[in-house]
Amino acid sequence: MPAGVGRRAAVVALAVVAVLLVPAATAFAGNGGLLPPPAHSPNAHRIRDAYVFVMIFVGVVFVIVEGALLVLITRYRRGKRDRTQEGPQIHGSTRLEILWTVVPVVMLTAICGYIFYKLPGINDAPPAAAANQTTITVEGHQFYWLFRYPNGAVSIGTMIAPAGDVVHENITAPASEVNHSWWVPELGGKTDAIPGQTNHSWFQAPIGTYVARCAELCGIQHALMDATVKVVPRAEYEAFIAARAAAPGGLDVGKEEWQGVCSSCHRLNETYVGPALGGNPLLRDRDGIENLVRHGLRQMPAVGENWSPEQIDALIAYTKTLPKQKANGFQS
Amino acid sequence: MASKANHHPSAARQRFGSDWRAGRITAWLTTVDHKRVGLLYIWTTLGFFAVGGVLALLMRAQLATPNENFLTRGSYNQVLTIHGTTMIFLVIVPILAGFGNFLVPLMIGARDMAFPRLNALSYWLFLLGGIVLLSSFWAGHGAAQGGWTSYVPLSTLHMPGHGEDFWILGLHILSISSLVGAINFIVTIHNMRTSGMTWTRIPLFIWAILTYAWLLVIVLPTLSAGLTMMLLDRQWGTHFFDPVHGGSPILYQHVFWFFGHPEVYIMILPAMGIISEIIPVFARKPIFGYKAVAYSTVGIAFFSLLVWAHHMFSTGLPVGLDSFFMLSSMVIAVPTGVKIFNWLATLWRGNISFDTPMLWSLGFIGVFTLGGLSGIFLAAFPIDWQLTDTYFVVAHLHYVLFGGSMFAVFAGLYYWWPKMFGRLLDERLGKLHFALVLIGFNVTFLPQHFLGLLGMPRRVYTYRPGGIWEVYNVISTVGSFLMAVGMLVFVLNVVITARSGRRASNDPWLADTLEWYTTSPPPAWNFDRLPYISNARPLRDVRRRLEAERWK
Ligand code: HEM
Ligand SMILES: [Cu+2]
Ligand SMILES: [Cu+2]
Repeated sequence: MPAGVGRRAAVVALAVVAVLLVPAATAFAGNGGLLPPPAHSPNAHRIRDAYVFVMIFVGVVFVIVEGALLVLITRYRRGKRDRTQEGPQIHGSTRLEILWTVVPVVMLTAICGYIFYKLPGINDAPPAAAANQTTITVEGHQFYWLFRYPNGAVSIGTMIAPAGDVVHENITAPASEVNHSWWVPELGGKTDAIPGQTNHSWFQAPIGTYVARCAELCGIQHALMDATVKVVPRAEYEAFIAARAAAPGGLDVGKEEWQGVCSSCHRLNETYVGPALGGNPLLRDRDGIENLVRHGLRQMPAVGENWSPEQIDALIAYTKTLPKQKANGFQS
Repeated sequence: MASKANHHPSAARQRFGSDWRAGRITAWLTTVDHKRVGLLYIWTTLGFFAVGGVLALLMRAQLATPNENFLTRGSYNQVLTIHGTTMIFLVIVPILAGFGNFLVPLMIGARDMAFPRLNALSYWLFLLGGIVLLSSFWAGHGAAQGGWTSYVPLSTLHMPGHGEDFWILGLHILSISSLVGAINFIVTIHNMRTSGMTWTRIPLFIWAILTYAWLLVIVLPTLSAGLTMMLLDRQWGTHFFDPVHGGSPILYQHVFWFFGHPEVYIMILPAMGIISEIIPVFARKPIFGYKAVAYSTVGIAFFSLLVWAHHMFSTGLPVGLDSFFMLSSMVIAVPTGVKIFNWLATLWRGNISFDTPMLWSLGFIGVFTLGGLSGIFLAAFPIDWQLTDTYFVVAHLHYVLFGGSMFAVFAGLYYWWPKMFGRLLDERLGKLHFALVLIGFNVTFLPQHFLGLLGMPRRVYTYRPGGIWEVYNVISTVGSFLMAVGMLVFVLNVVITARSGRRASNDPWLADTLEWYTTSPPPAWNFDRLPYISNARPLRDVRRRLEAERWK
């Protein structure tokens, strides 16, 4: 092959490397996505460890294979030889076949071994003797997350959890719902919220605020179906759920519903996924709104199908505080 | 069907007419010639590839920056669904069938497929299925929106309109098409090999197509069952998947992935077969470990039937099942590695020419390796709990399907183009095409691994502003448009070659297999006469014999 082609190939190779370096460099700066997000719960930690363990093997194999590929095509390129010239007619080698069967088997066994070694710490929450235990139900709905606490309190969009406790999550969705997937990247892996089924997960986290996302395509607003997990001191947590249980129809509950549920598809003054709601008389009509959220309407899902009467009260209490008219002054 | 009787050239000539490429539209509409059917497949799939590619670019345009308003919500989900479904069911699977149709009879020394009419039927069903699927866009409420996996209950109880029904119907038709084609491949390969072509002398591509066909026959009925249940749930009030009435959404996932995982090997095994044909030719060596490569094909196919629930690790399966599916998935990595090592060993001490088919094949090894390795993270189920349903999976699947299957498809197009059309594609444009796609591909999909690890779920039409997500997303979009430019270079190449491409001899690459024994393009009856096959590289024997005679 003429030298020009070799040089061109080298230029192309360099260009590829350069282009790949850009994201790689950005990735190295801070946690740019070479590892799972920083872990704030023991199970998330162990998943991260497992990731690093696998990464070492995979990295070595990657370098060997890609390195071998580059070396072989450089070393055995045709160069000035004639196109018809043959290489040695080697048809194979049983010993080599065995070698590159056995070595990967050993490597993969090591990986599986390590996974099984870490598995109990990921799957099984610390026992009651080791830490306080709390159970919170996580319910996926189109397009919001609803949380139920042991004393019957409910919150939407934000889970309040006690710091240091082992928090058991019962993850589910009402039977009439679609699949969702509950994911708090810093607190562990995903667990699907499947209608009519309850799955389990857990975390044990320090005080902090963590982002949660829905990770299963669940309809038109799936992309924005996120939530917040607020881990607070135990006293604060207890005060919160007690207050909630005492006033399940309170204005704060209603506000949460409006912001977490209705606002994912409605704006007051402009059409969004659904129509603008500013000035809509239903916002002042308890029966009307109950009917609407319990049964849905055409494209609108039955977002409040399993809400308690108090939750409906809360909603209407809040919507009554909204302006009577659209901002532009027209009654809708 | 070609019987031994008309192996006599003049009889064959009489039966098959003068030129299989003569005649205009009606000749193509009524053809039962495997070469024409193959080309119909290939042209049609390339058309669908353009459609799927444009849909991809629309998505990347929307995702270039956060809170973009270019293609949102329902429209995005429609585009997402049809993009994925098109690339899988209308591009990769059928283009491999196209290669199979064109090549299988030529490679095994047959006059045609066993059932030429069935062959034509499978093509026309494919076209029909494609049209039905794409017409989903014109249904009330638009196209299907559930992704190519179309999970329930979203796709049954929560998807109004008839887009989803078109999607189901389209897939039904495509399954029948593939099934018919697969049976035809099986019968042809089992019964119509020329004399001397034993199982260890057939080209590795034939091993791959045979395995592909068996897998299709085994798993397509499962898909059809799942689709039928879905259609019944949607239209006739059954409750297979409806939890309100005791149905099970998880059942659908099992059914789908029992089909869906083998499907990914249906898409990669023939691609690997193409690579196994090309690498030895351009390294001027026999394939290293013919039997190992052939058996690993069968091994992969067998194990691919046992790993389906690795797509369901986050659904709350019992740990025992998770463990089983992790182990079985790891097992599959072994024969996959065997293939890669054998290709590398084939390069060793070779005389490597970097013609375009070889560049795509080497690119395949480089890129597919990364896709295979990222799969190991996904098979380790606790790690998968972090990675599933994120952009990491999108990156993984594109490394194996685009960097894998599609790179091999391009390798195959550049390699067999002279046999199909009698002209060689332009090498300079070919290399430019390769370079642009290789770079664009990595720029598009490498950062998506990082996005997934950072927490970006897949199948989202937008994301919130802030941080490094924006950087990676815009890089990814730039890469996708770079690839698109590469594809335009390919179109240019095709057009230029059709007008003024270099004419190809029978055997322009000095290849090993029987399709190069006949003219480029072959006559309707394929071969005037055939050599006796005494090993896996009959053409090399022929060349050596000619050489020897020349010097006698
Ligand atoms: C120009 C090249 C391509 C680009 C830029 C591209 C881009 C994308 C994007 C943005 C998505 C949506 C990700 C999400 O939100 O989940 C996607 C999904 C997908 N792509 Fe591609 N793609 C390309 C080529 C291909 C090819 C050649 C194949 C087939 C081998 C393919 C198969 C898929 C599949 C199977 C999905 C998943 C669809 C689903 O989950 O329903 N893509 N692609
Ligand atoms: Cu969701
Ligand atoms: Cu799979």
